[in-house]
Amino acid sequence: MENRPLSPHIQIYKWHISSLVSISHRITGIINFFAITLICIWFAFMLLGESEYQPIKIFLESFLGKFILIGITWSFSFQMLSEIRHLIMDLGYGFDLQTTKITGLLVIFGSIFLTIVVYIFGRGVI
Amino acid sequence: MVQLSLPKNSEIKKGKYFKDKTGSKNLRKVNIYRWDPSTDEGPRIDTYEVDMDNCPSKVLDILNKIKNEIDSTITYRRSCAHGVCGSCAMNMGGKNGLACTTPHAEIEGDIDIYPLPHLKVKKDLIGDLDGLYKQYQSIEPWLKNNSTKETTEIYQSKEDRAKLDGAYECIMCACCSTSCPSYWWNGDKYLGPAVLLQAYRWIIDSRDEERKARLKKVADELKLYRCHTILNCTNACPKGLNPAKAIAEIKKMLATANV
Repeated sequence: MENRPLSPHIQIYKWHISSLVSISHRITGIINFFAITLICIWFAFMLLGESEYQPIKIFLESFLGKFILIGITWSFSFQMLSEIRHLIMDLGYGFDLQTTKITGLLVIFGSIFLTIVVYIFGRGVI
Repeated sequence: MVQLSLPKNSEIKKGKYFKDKTGSKNLRKVNIYRWDPSTDEGPRIDTYEVDMDNCPSKVLDILNKIKNEIDSTITYRRSCAHGVCGSCAMNMGGKNGLACTTPHAEIEGDIDIYPLPHLKVKKDLIGDLDGLYKQYQSIEPWLKNNSTKETTEIYQSKEDRAKLDGAYECIMCACCSTSCPSYWWNGDKYLGPAVLLQAYRWIIDSRDEERKARLKKVADELKLYRCHTILNCTNACPKGLNPAKAIAEIKKMLATANV
C-alpha cells in the first residue's frame, strides 16, 4: 500500500498559453526582484561622479550589458502586462477560454513590442 | 511543496511492446502507463500497436479494444461511456479528459495515456481520489436551511436558479483538480478547482442560509488563495465548465463582503 507510485504530473502535462504566461509571470517576478537591486547599484554609481561611473558605462555598452538591459526591459514589460491581465481576472472578467488565449497572446507579443518601443525611444532612433 | 521530479518508486521504465497481429496498414502506437501492485516492480510504459481501421472514434474505444483483443490485464475505470459518470477521467496526449468523449483523432502522433496526474496509483490507469472526496465532504455539499420545515417547498426565482448554471453540471471526474499545478504541490491543503466550484455552487444558492459560514470556511490562504489563475482547470474540464471563474467569484465575494 505505502509503495504506491505517484502518477507523473508536470513531466507529461501539456503547456498552453495561460499556463505559460502564468509561469513566466513568476519567473519575471523573480528576475525583477534582482533587477531592482542592479538598478539601485547603477544609480549609486551615477551619484559617485563621472570617473567612478566609467566602468559601469563600459559594461553597459558591452554585449552582456546590453543583453541584461534589454532583458530587464522585457521582463518588466511582461510583468506589467501580465499583472494587468491578472487584475482584470480578479475583477471576474476574461475567463472565457477563447479570451484567455487572446489576452495571453497579447501579453506575450505586447511585452516584445514594448521592449522594442522602449529601445527605440531610449536610443533616440526617432 | 514544489517537487518537479518523481520519487524513486515512481520512475517510469520502458515496458512490453505488443506488435500488431492483424496485418492492418492503419496502425497507431498507444503508450499506456502500467503499474501492478501485486509485484515489486515500478511503473512502466507498455506500447500497443492498434488497428485503427476497426476502432471507433474515442480513446475509450482504443482501451476497450486493447483490453478485449490484445492484453486483458490493463486496468481502467469506465462506466457510462457518454461523458456523464466521470469514471474514465485520465491524461491523454498530455491533457486531462474523459476517455469516452475525447476523440483519438485530436491527439497527434503516438497516443500517450497516463492516470490523472499527481495521484497515488492504485493500478494502471486508476488513481486514488480519496483525498479529493474528503475535501468535497469538508465543504458540506448539501442544502442547509433551518427556517423552513422539511415538508415545505422552498421557492427559487428563475434568475436565482440561472446562477447555478455552469456549477451544478459538474460530474466530479477530477480532471480539473488533477490538472492544477497548485493542487499538485499543495493538494493536502488547497481544495482545488473541483471542490471550490462546488463550494461556489452552494454559496450562491439562494435557498441556502449558511452563505456567510460557507464563505468563512473557504476564506483561507491555503484552501482558496493557492489559485493563481493558471487556468489548467478550465482548459481541462470535459463538461466545458469554468472552475477558475468560480474561484475568482469567491475571491471577489470575500473582498467585497463583510465576512
